[in-house]
Amino acid sequence: MTLRAFLFIMAIGSGVLPSVCAQSWKPPKTAWGDPDLQGMWPGNMGVPLQRPEKLGTRTTLTDQEFAQKEAQAKKQAEADSQSTAASDSVGIGPPSYWVERGTPTRQTSLIIDPPNGRLPPLTAEEQKLRKEARGGKGFPGEWRGEADSYDDLNIYYRCITRGLLGSIIPVVYNNGNEILQAPGLVIIRNEMIHETRVIPLDGRPHLNPAIRQYLGDSRGHWEGNTLVIETTNFTDKDAIGSNGAGYPGDPGHHSADLKLTERLTRVSADTLNYQATIDDPKTWTLPWTILIPLKRNDHYQLLEYACHEGNIAMGDILSGARADERKETK
Amino acid sequence: MTIATGAAVAVLLLAAGPASAQSSTYRPPRAPDGHADLSGIYEALDGANWDLQDHSPQAGTMWQTGAIGSEPAGESVVEGGVIPYKPAALEKKKVNFANRRTNDPEAKCYMPGIPRANYMPYPFQIVQTPRGIMFVYEFASANRLVNMGKPEEAASDTWMGTNNGHWEGDTLVVDVTGLNGLAWFDRAGDFASNQLHVVERYTRVDPYHLNYEATIEDPSVFTRPWKISMPLYRRVEKNAQLLEFKCVEFVEELLYGQFKKQAGK
Repeated sequence: MTLRAFLFIMAIGSGVLPSVCAQSWKPPKTAWGDPDLQGMWPGNMGVPLQRPEKLGTRTTLTDQEFAQKEAQAKKQAEADSQSTAASDSVGIGPPSYWVERGTPTRQTSLIIDPPNGRLPPLTAEEQKLRKEARGGKGFPGEWRGEADSYDDLNIYYRCITRGLLGSIIPVVYNNGNEILQAPGLVIIRNEMIHETRVIPLDGRPHLNPAIRQYLGDSRGHWEGNTLVIETTNFTDKDAIGSNGAGYPGDPGHHSADLKLTERLTRVSADTLNYQATIDDPKTWTLPWTILIPLKRNDHYQLLEYACHEGNIAMGDILSGARADERKETK
Repeated sequence: MTIATGAAVAVLLLAAGPASAQSSTYRPPRAPDGHADLSGIYEALDGANWDLQDHSPQAGTMWQTGAIGSEPAGESVVEGGVIPYKPAALEKKKVNFANRRTNDPEAKCYMPGIPRANYMPYPFQIVQTPRGIMFVYEFASANRLVNMGKPEEAASDTWMGTNNGHWEGDTLVVDVTGLNGLAWFDRAGDFASNQLHVVERYTRVDPYHLNYEATIEDPSVFTRPWKISMPLYRRVEKNAQLLEFKCVEFVEELLYGQFKKQAGK
């Protein structure tokens, strides 16, 4: 067995497409000589952020586990196909036939580091912050019916943003991501909520730390065929995976000191490995890394996700809560 | 679009031509695909976002903001000076103006639509890529990708429209349809319906300016197609970049404050 064949088998075996794959496939280049990452790369639902503890450090499902997952997906697809707007119960979520379920894969968790696929422990400082936020109610995460004010709801319900990582971590629908390139620039578009990051590659310094942005301030450079993007200047009003439809055990609130390093590597014609390392020592005791293998889909179309413009829910939630209070006092 | 109005648009476009503002000697640098390079960060410096038409200075909608919220004078960017409204539409514009403090979609941080996105007092960036020409706006994170391939029909009405582009010499022509008609043209309440059709022309006239023209057609609101034009100025600061202006959180009190729980209740 040659070394290359051995590495290839290891890559297949681990199932999460490590960077050794990249050595066997060279991405095309743009007209100006950069690796060409352009295309539509929608996210795929179905891989949990954190690995079930019983799987330990195992990064892929067994044949049997995978077969189970596929069977469940088939059952879900059948149930979805029966769903209609009329048959679904009234709620603030969409009817289930809207919901993207994804194509089952063997990846056991989006988190690939620490090796147990779990979020590292929070710092004592962050635990205190989360406990004491909003007078002891904690940061708004999954909505639990509080509706005194709009800021009882998280920033996704408020249609402000899903944050940088939240915009890429696959959720319930509208998971489109598109990459475009021009000399000296890379653009990453996220369908929800119509985000566009224009990332300079010219080595310019970051914005002054006095300027804080929900999506931070991104600077990119190439390391071989990998686009490396370093982002700083975040706010502390944001959360990772801050959305009601997100993962159980969402990472939640982060500090303004968050430093995010994204690594985008096209490992085959139709797979782009999106890897991001979250380094925020004020919030987590260790840095942690997620891997999202994105599959190219030339037929996917980004639609204009006019979240705020169509946010009927906010007014209804708040005015409904007031109406309930009036009823109670009568 | 009827054949008659279609022909009227065509005549108007021909008459407009890129020559109206283009210096005959300037040849823009080239993008990698050989077309004129229009990429950069631009901003309008006129009073069009206050009012497309000629206007005197006047008080703003809130005395509390003093001179900051009051409206400076501006000259019309409309060819011929006046927007050719149908009588009923002109009445609606007046109602819009009277209610502009709360009803202007800009006040609500809604995506500004086309053409307004291009002359708001915020910068925007043009990036020419092999997948199309990207327009990224600082205001409300609005954006649109201009398809430079085979023209696509609007899949549905949207705030920023369905954008099909082509080159006429060094002028980028963008045909915008599928606009939802909910955006206004300015703070004066000028408006259109979802039958709005905008044809934009972008011409780089020297290293620091684009000439911007837009032909506006909506037979349900206007008696004929009409045209605006203005220069767009390049932001030349070293390392200029768009900053984030996610204005939603600044308008929640305006939109939802009335539904908040009141103290003591």
